[in-house]
Amino acid sequence: MSRLSLALAAALSCLCGAASAQQLVPSPTLDAIKARGHLECGVHLGLPGFSFANDKGEWSGIDVDYCRALAAAILGDSTKVKFTPTSVQQRWPVLQSGQVDLLSRNTTITFSRNATLGVNFQGINFYEGQTFVVRKGTATAPKDLDGASICVAAGSTEEKQAADWFRERNMKTSIINFQKNDDAIAAYDSGRCDAYTAGLGALAGQRSKLKDPDSHVVMTETISNDPQGPTTRYGDERYQLVVRWVLNGMIAAELLGITSKNVDEMKAKSTSAEVRRLLGVDGGFGAMMGLSNDWMFNAIKQVGNYGESYERTVGMGSPLKLARGKNELWTKGGALFTPPFQ
Amino acid sequence: MSVAALLRDRKVRDVLAQVAVAAGLVALIVFFVRNASENMVKAGIASGFGFLWRDSGIEVPFQLTGYTASSSILGLLWVGIVNTLLVSVVSIVAATLLGFLIGVARLSRNPMLSGLAGAYVEFVRNIPLLFFVLIWYFGVVASLPAPRASIPLLDIAFLNNRGLTVPLPQEAAGFAYTLLVLLLGMAVQLALVALSRRRQARTGHALPLGWTALLLLLAAPLATLLWAVLGTAWDVPALRGFNYRGGFVLVPEFVALFAALSTYTAGFVAEIVRAGILAVPAGQVEAAKALGLRPGLALRLVVIPQALRVMVPPMTSQYLNVIKNSSFGAAIAYPDVVSLFMGSALNNTGQAIEIIAITLALYLSISLAVSGFMNWYNARIALVTR
Repeated sequence: MSRLSLALAAALSCLCGAASAQQLVPSPTLDAIKARGHLECGVHLGLPGFSFANDKGEWSGIDVDYCRALAAAILGDSTKVKFTPTSVQQRWPVLQSGQVDLLSRNTTITFSRNATLGVNFQGINFYEGQTFVVRKGTATAPKDLDGASICVAAGSTEEKQAADWFRERNMKTSIINFQKNDDAIAAYDSGRCDAYTAGLGALAGQRSKLKDPDSHVVMTETISNDPQGPTTRYGDERYQLVVRWVLNGMIAAELLGITSKNVDEMKAKSTSAEVRRLLGVDGGFGAMMGLSNDWMFNAIKQVGNYGESYERTVGMGSPLKLARGKNELWTKGGALFTPPFQ
Repeated sequence: MSVAALLRDRKVRDVLAQVAVAAGLVALIVFFVRNASENMVKAGIASGFGFLWRDSGIEVPFQLTGYTASSSILGLLWVGIVNTLLVSVVSIVAATLLGFLIGVARLSRNPMLSGLAGAYVEFVRNIPLLFFVLIWYFGVVASLPAPRASIPLLDIAFLNNRGLTVPLPQEAAGFAYTLLVLLLGMAVQLALVALSRRRQARTGHALPLGWTALLLLLAAPLATLLWAVLGTAWDVPALRGFNYRGGFVLVPEFVALFAALSTYTAGFVAEIVRAGILAVPAGQVEAAKALGLRPGLALRLVVIPQALRVMVPPMTSQYLNVIKNSSFGAAIAYPDVVSLFMGSALNNTGQAIEIIAITLALYLSISLAVSGFMNWYNARIALVTR
């Protein structure tokens, strides 16, 4: 009898196991990340505030933070990330060929990239806008740049946007395209160009690479809207789901007032239904994606919410001192938005 | 003949083996192409060559083809090809001239001259080309003044760190005539040379070829050039805002790449020239001396024609190197094929396989054409032995 019940129990558990496993679409990427024990994250070659390695090889920046939060959500440990620096040209092949699990590197979301490169954009973690850095006293706004030589990184969205913008206004400029951002900056610094163009946030960090940063100014007027965010390959929807909702979770955490400091207390005491679902007390949201239910708890505890990450990397707590601007929550006049955790 | 007998025939066996290898190679290529295209479709990556006709949207600061940002990507590729060939051709000419001088100088009996030439060759041959390109680029840009402090040349051309701005003629017809007159003069001069040879063989007296050359190749084209210069209105550059407007700008990227390629390759050409001259048996020079030829004449009439035969094959590979090395221009934003097509266009379209295949095919066909020409030239000057 006892043997029978044992066998029954075993069969039942088998069935349940099979049934619960069947609820999930197979995700080769998540399986691979768990098997290898770390996340492979493609980042920028070196952009202070976004992804930058210090002399000890420790990475920091808002894009780096996102990858750490993703690793914490999937593996429970934000340090289990391997960063692969990629140039403007390398980023697509590196992602397409599967060398990295995702790109988190100041890459502007555009239609043609989405439609022809086999990549999906999973949300916006930074609203960038293109502008110019010039020598002090030469120009104050983009419209002053008629006749200027402008250094730019080849293959960036800035290269085409600048060409379009000046052409539409019948302004004649000479655009010199370099293979790497750093080459373009060096050429601008040596006097080859009157201006160097990149995103406002990127420029705030890159300005420190100039020999005498104080003799240059970054224009405040932007000529474009360049939303940027984590990017994955086509396919493997369950993994895309995780990438998308970890970003949403970081934004939701800021909205709900959950920080890395109060997350334990919130988990234990909060009565808010959304907080309880986000932190895995109720709802079993993690399990729906094949993760542990404290996926967002781990991410917030180890990395912080979006606002904490922003202030630490590019905001007032960093040398870049960028105001939140569009990167403020939509409830506070910005453009950052997350669908509800329901 | 039976099949077994056919297989025993060595010629038939050889042909069969070659056919099998060729078929295997084709099958392998077909397999790779199909595999790549299937996987690209699966990954959602666009493929095919339709992108070549899309708008490029990329601004090119230095081009001679009338390209604008609203031209197609094919137009962008053409700009790249023209720029690659332009810098290659002028660098080859300059490297050959400079290399010849240095090579001959290295054989000079003057220790100062030969020592300097030797030092130059050793210096140049032992430094990576990329280093050379960057040194020239930042050297050129850094040593020139900003636009407002430009160095004026006769107040019509201006040199600054944005390049050399020269006046551009509004009408180009006069210059086409100049070229025509020059070509015509060359043809007539060549005919005269042939005539003079025959006359010298018959009567021992040559025609005054120097005077005809002066008239046909210098005076007549110069006169037409003067007429052309005076006959057209000029777009003279003027300082307005950030830089000089109007005219044509020779960008520092071009100058730096040209300088780097020609000074670098000259070191190798010098060694080829020295080897070629030393390969001519000493007896030939002694014989020339014994016939009463002066050293200069002996070099020109006896040594160099024979040295050329040794020099042409290694020179061919140096010329091919210049064409391939011109891709280093990508490091300093010289808009060549690699920079424009494999850099900007590849990134805007993401079609890596197609773009790299096209670039590969381009370099291959340019190089094969050059080596084909050099092989023909080599066969022409080869010693005819009976």
